[in-house]
Amino acid sequence: MKKISTLFVALIIFVSACNEVPINQELKTLAPANLDEDAGTWTPIFLASTSAVLLAPPPDDTAPARKTELDAIKNIQANLTPEQIKAIEYWSSGGVLRWNEILRGLVSEFNLPPAPNNLGTYPAPDAENPFGDPNFPFANPPYASRAYSYVAAAQYDALATAWHYKYVHNRQSPYNADSGIEALMTKTSLPSYPSEGAVMSSVTAEILKLMFPAAVERITTMAAQQRNAALWSGKAAASDISAGLQLGKDVAAIFTARARTDGMAVAGGNPQLWAALKTNAETRGEIAWLSLEIPPRPPMLPYFGLRNATPTIPGAKAWMMSDADIEKERPAAPPPTASEEMAKEVAEVYYYTTHVTRERLAIVHKWADGAGTYTPPGHWDEIASHYIEAANMSEVRAARAYAYLNVALHDAAVGCWETKYFYFNPRPSQMDPAIKTATGVPNFPAYTSGHSTYSGAAAAVLSYLFPGDSPFFNEQATEASLSRLYGGIHYQSDCNMGLEHGKVIAEYTLTRARGDGADN
Amino acid sequence: MKKRLLLLLMVSLTAPALAQIPTDGLMMPTGALCTGFMYQHDSWKEYWEGPLKRDNLNIGQFTGQNVMWYGVYGVSPKLNLMAALPYVANKVSLGTLMPMSGLQDLSVAGKYKLLEVQAGPGKFYTFVGAQFSAPMSNYSPDFLPISLGLHTKNGGGRLTLNYTLANGFYLNTNGGYTWRSNTKLDRPAYFTDGTYYSSDIVDMPNTVDYKVDVGYHKGALQAELTYMQMNTLGGGDIRRQDMPFASNRMNAQRVGVLLMYYVPFIKNLGVRGAVNYTVGGRNVGQTTSIIGGILYTIRFKNPTTGQEPQS
Repeated sequence: MKKISTLFVALIIFVSACNEVPINQELKTLAPANLDEDAGTWTPIFLASTSAVLLAPPPDDTAPARKTELDAIKNIQANLTPEQIKAIEYWSSGGVLRWNEILRGLVSEFNLPPAPNNLGTYPAPDAENPFGDPNFPFANPPYASRAYSYVAAAQYDALATAWHYKYVHNRQSPYNADSGIEALMTKTSLPSYPSEGAVMSSVTAEILKLMFPAAVERITTMAAQQRNAALWSGKAAASDISAGLQLGKDVAAIFTARARTDGMAVAGGNPQLWAALKTNAETRGEIAWLSLEIPPRPPMLPYFGLRNATPTIPGAKAWMMSDADIEKERPAAPPPTASEEMAKEVAEVYYYTTHVTRERLAIVHKWADGAGTYTPPGHWDEIASHYIEAANMSEVRAARAYAYLNVALHDAAVGCWETKYFYFNPRPSQMDPAIKTATGVPNFPAYTSGHSTYSGAAAAVLSYLFPGDSPFFNEQATEASLSRLYGGIHYQSDCNMGLEHGKVIAEYTLTRARGDGADN
Repeated sequence: MKKRLLLLLMVSLTAPALAQIPTDGLMMPTGALCTGFMYQHDSWKEYWEGPLKRDNLNIGQFTGQNVMWYGVYGVSPKLNLMAALPYVANKVSLGTLMPMSGLQDLSVAGKYKLLEVQAGPGKFYTFVGAQFSAPMSNYSPDFLPISLGLHTKNGGGRLTLNYTLANGFYLNTNGGYTWRSNTKLDRPAYFTDGTYYSSDIVDMPNTVDYKVDVGYHKGALQAELTYMQMNTLGGGDIRRQDMPFASNRMNAQRVGVLLMYYVPFIKNLGVRGAVNYTVGGRNVGQTTSIIGGILYTIRFKNPTTGQEPQS
């Protein structure tokens, strides 16, 4: 009996000796290697210039109101609660990294396809009824890449604008202006007017409220917490924060106006348009794509990339490419579905799905990035987060890194989706129903692979940002690309062409990046 | 959907699967080894997505089969040791997802007879037990419901109370608590239970189970009716139209019938059959299980003296 109880206790200790799983990314406190004082001269993504949005000058620091503001901070710092200290610590890792993590969580949460109803059809998510079933949005890869790109581009443009005004007004941070105020985040000489934390909080919240309206409570709570952390840490005074809040909103308004006319609202098409895609492929003598879901699901966002939707879409779809650029860079046609080459590709997919190894399965699952995940753009943002953190980038430089990465990822989505629906090529399991897959078959045409296009673009941008790690990024991109072949959902040619296409698309972003003034 | 996993755990550690298992009121005699193989066939067409019962035309019918080696050895009149190792094969009938198969988890368990007292017309027994299981292959827990299991190390304890009448009728109750280790995914982040985790490690809530059996065991025959309940102490629901996830709150209520019979013309050979049906659940499939097995008892020592048998 004694032996038994000893064994029993040993087992319990063994099994329960596991670590708590942290919810948030473990990030170090941001101590920027460089303040990037000249960031106000860098070229923004979408704003005409860093002074295009106006900001009133700060209040007179010799007036008595200044003392009241600073005394208020001292008072708060003397009575900080554990929750307030936790909030300061959380945001001291950098708002850009934190918001990207929050956005990856939002995409994961909202990345669920609608369930079929009793009639065997799928109700469309409705922006006017975001809390319904299905939730709005269905944050699938194109939707997600668009959301990541708007947040990142707007944050960068807003922060570059903030940097411009910071060095116009050169107002000291409370912890520099008054020795009675502690620096509870890393102390720097960065001017505090407007507060970069407040700018980020409002520009991000305004865009997220448009993209994820059902998450409004979390979005606004986190935004308010970021502003509070800036105040409590002694980094910004109340007037720095209210100026930042307004500047962020003004920048966001320019981006949300673009978002309302970028065609997303009509990207789903309609039954007539879906039928036309099929006819178009069949007219060319090809086997047209069919949904492999039961009941068949309408194709995912066919007019996210294609331009010939009705009604005509007024705005631009891509950030760095025109419609003509998108068409010009469209990959050449895939092997005809009746060709011997196609038969060989189908056989190759069949081989991988019948010769699964644990190593290849791990690659498939690592890069699955399907429903309920942050999607491939989120995966590349996650990878980038480690490099941005390690580089001790200032907030504006971190925002720039995510801006170029996500703008290129979005343009990759536009280019890839245009290609997919232009060719409307069937998936391997449609060509050969004996092909059983190691991950879900995405509900859109095969050629070219979205993962490959995203990954080719991401590796190119990250190689520009972190040249020393370029071999790693390219190796990851190749692995992500091949994961789709190993999983049985793409042909080799989808993967190869997607990677190449992604690199070509990224070059449009990189041309801008190299000349924006940040590398000088 | 992942009911399967729970089921396997129950089969290997708790289900009424053998002449002597961790949850019943029987003991192997000292020096006797009972060993053999069990075959189990599980299937379901409907499952619970959280509280919502539904079918899924992209899964059709789920079928899980396993062949399990099983052995139990009488160490002393009061102590038995058991081990089980299943080979599992899972598939779905519709949609495109591929089948999976492989060695699942080895479980070992000890059962100790704490108490045996005459009480009225029968005898009252109390048993305590400890159990442990660990994956025997590097299978992925991230392809539910087709994954072979959840890939955790488990440890647990259980208590059995049994009252057996001299005429062979008995009432048996058993309860267990199982601690589960974290499990690891092949991906660096996941979303479950309303939270996004920047980690590949998944905290797996512990489980409790209990069952009540009413049966008859005399001579070569054992027959039993069972009610079983299993609950996961935490975890999120499968969201609307989402895939199941390893740490989901998987609960199930099951009823079953068991027959065990020692073949009269072949000494020491027993056959066993059972059927279990899931009557209620959460985040599991509504499984029907059919179990059949053949078991052979080898006596290394005389059961009464503990000495080598005289030939």
